[in-house]
Amino acid sequence: MSESVLKIEGLKTYFFTEAGVVQAVDGISFHVRKGESLGLVGESGSGKTVTALSVLRIVPRPGKITEGKIEFNGDDLLKKTEEEMRKIRGSQIAIIFQDPSSSLNPVYTIESQLKDVITAHQNLSKEQAEDKVIELLMLVGLPDAGTRMREYPHQFSGGMKQRVAIARALALEPTLLFADEPTTNLDVTVQAQVLELLNDLKKKLGMSLLMITHDMGIIANITTRVVVLYAGRVCEIARTGDLFEWPRHPYTAALLAAVPRLDMKKTLRVIPGNIPNLIEPPSGCRFHPRCEYAKELCGKMVPALEEIGPDHFVACHEWRDISLREKKASG
Amino acid sequence: MFTWIQESGLGRPRKMASNKKEKVSRRSASQWAVAWRRFKRNKPGVLGLIMVIILFLSPVFEWMFTQMNWILPARPDPAAFTFFYTGEYRQPPSLENLFKQPFSLTKLFGTTPIGTDVLSDMIHAAKYTLYVGILVTLITMVLSILVGALAGFFGGWIDNVLMRIAEVFLVFPSLLLILVFVRIFTLTVGEPFWKIPLININIPAGLTIVVFVIAVFNWGSNARMIRGEFLRIREFEFVEAERALGADNKRIIFRHILPNILSSIIVVSTLTIAYAILIEAAVSFLGFGDVNTITWGQILQENFADARVVWWAELFPGLAILFSVFAFNLLGDGLSDALNPRLRE
Repeated sequence: MSESVLKIEGLKTYFFTEAGVVQAVDGISFHVRKGESLGLVGESGSGKTVTALSVLRIVPRPGKITEGKIEFNGDDLLKKTEEEMRKIRGSQIAIIFQDPSSSLNPVYTIESQLKDVITAHQNLSKEQAEDKVIELLMLVGLPDAGTRMREYPHQFSGGMKQRVAIARALALEPTLLFADEPTTNLDVTVQAQVLELLNDLKKKLGMSLLMITHDMGIIANITTRVVVLYAGRVCEIARTGDLFEWPRHPYTAALLAAVPRLDMKKTLRVIPGNIPNLIEPPSGCRFHPRCEYAKELCGKMVPALEEIGPDHFVACHEWRDISLREKKASG
Repeated sequence: MFTWIQESGLGRPRKMASNKKEKVSRRSASQWAVAWRRFKRNKPGVLGLIMVIILFLSPVFEWMFTQMNWILPARPDPAAFTFFYTGEYRQPPSLENLFKQPFSLTKLFGTTPIGTDVLSDMIHAAKYTLYVGILVTLITMVLSILVGALAGFFGGWIDNVLMRIAEVFLVFPSLLLILVFVRIFTLTVGEPFWKIPLININIPAGLTIVVFVIAVFNWGSNARMIRGEFLRIREFEFVEAERALGADNKRIIFRHILPNILSSIIVVSTLTIAYAILIEAAVSFLGFGDVNTITWGQILQENFADARVVWWAELFPGLAILFSVFAFNLLGDGLSDALNPRLRE
């Protein structure tokens, strides 16, 4: 078993709003191994992005990390000072955001934005920095990099902007890269290109990738392990193949059943109900109000994350008694 | 139909980079080039720009005309004019001459009961108009950018405290308070001029006090505008992205957010210049200004008692104030249209 780059234990990030305390992330634990691509799946509002922002410690106000441990290469990030954190951001952990159209500063050229990042952390001459910029843009497959780097973000298409954003995230060769739904705002064909690019770069640079998405297709394509989140808690952690083959948590099964498939003739199953209000979340297992297998115990006790097989963890009281495999296959 | 393509510079034929040198020379149209193209089409804006340029050239005219003896030299030591403030001007020695020949080729705008030439005084005063306009705007903008940036960027209690302070300045009738404070502070001034050490320039003491008082009572509304802009830009993803790349607050505020609101700042600054000129003229006209420095408002004040006779001493400086306020307002509106095209719709 290879060592882990990032280890999150019992992370709790709450938002202290006027309406009440939103328990956006409530006791999440998982780890990212060196060189792997881990998927973080869940509905909107399940705490995927907040988890990533928590690791970088840039949770926007009124959010606050209240508990937990985030170990990065053995150091607890929550014990670092703001100054130490600033040095880690970008150079060791980087993030790519969802919306490429607004993640670049519109008033600067691509060149100066990338140079900015490079020269802030490294001591390079003007020519060296320029060469590095061209090299980075070529790495992410931007055609005609030497000319186009002098253009402004509005002169680029969405896919090209996302490539530039990726180049900026990679500028300092981070060991861990978060990709926060990097393809949701792109065309399907461009999506595939960007995903392929990320996968290639991950291999080339030997970094770990944490892919945040709600798209099961992306998960199947580029991740090796998956963490399923629901309402701020972990439901299931498994290898991607195992998860698709035999989901053990009812929520995972429901998620997979909600993906349209061409090879099976069946109607899409929608998960009834909505994601719960996280100011007053349901007691016990947070999924129990929407779960068709829920028993009395589910509303009373929070299920612990149990190891049920190699690399397979599930947080469900009923996992032994329900067989989701047949369910899925028969539709 | 496709005008936006030209405007955004997208439609320009792209030169293929054949060697390294050429690719460095090709720069894409920046937003400033685009804005200038848009500004050029705006007739009132261009008129305003020309008027402003004339105003800025006035010190050159002053120097030239003085050299050529077309205008009288600047008023001498104000002590020479003490009789003016002791009431003796009621029996001016030259009143009869005045009616014989109030206007002449060299005294185009007429002379006054105390024998001064209106045009000469106006030309000498023009530089102080710019001094007031620009210095007030500089101080106002520095104050309001600091306050607005802190309030808008950090939000929370900082925002609350700073904006309540700004509102205190906004709700009081500012002209009244400006008059009170100008009077209090000008009473304490000994010398008519302050010498700025290193660069050896004399600045008019009383007028500078007027400038500071106006600026202190004027930053509130601008700070609110800048706070609003910061609140808007702060939510863009690139701010979060910069933070995730290790940028600190100072860098995000000054290097990433401020350039994004530069166009608004330029527009507001231009309008603030016009406002400052107007307020200073009002302060001087009401008799609270710096009596040691000749400004347009000061000329109005000096001749107000005789306005029915020497109407020209009121009309022409008044028109000059109108001219400059108009100039900066036209320019400001033109810039606002050119830099924020969305506002037009």
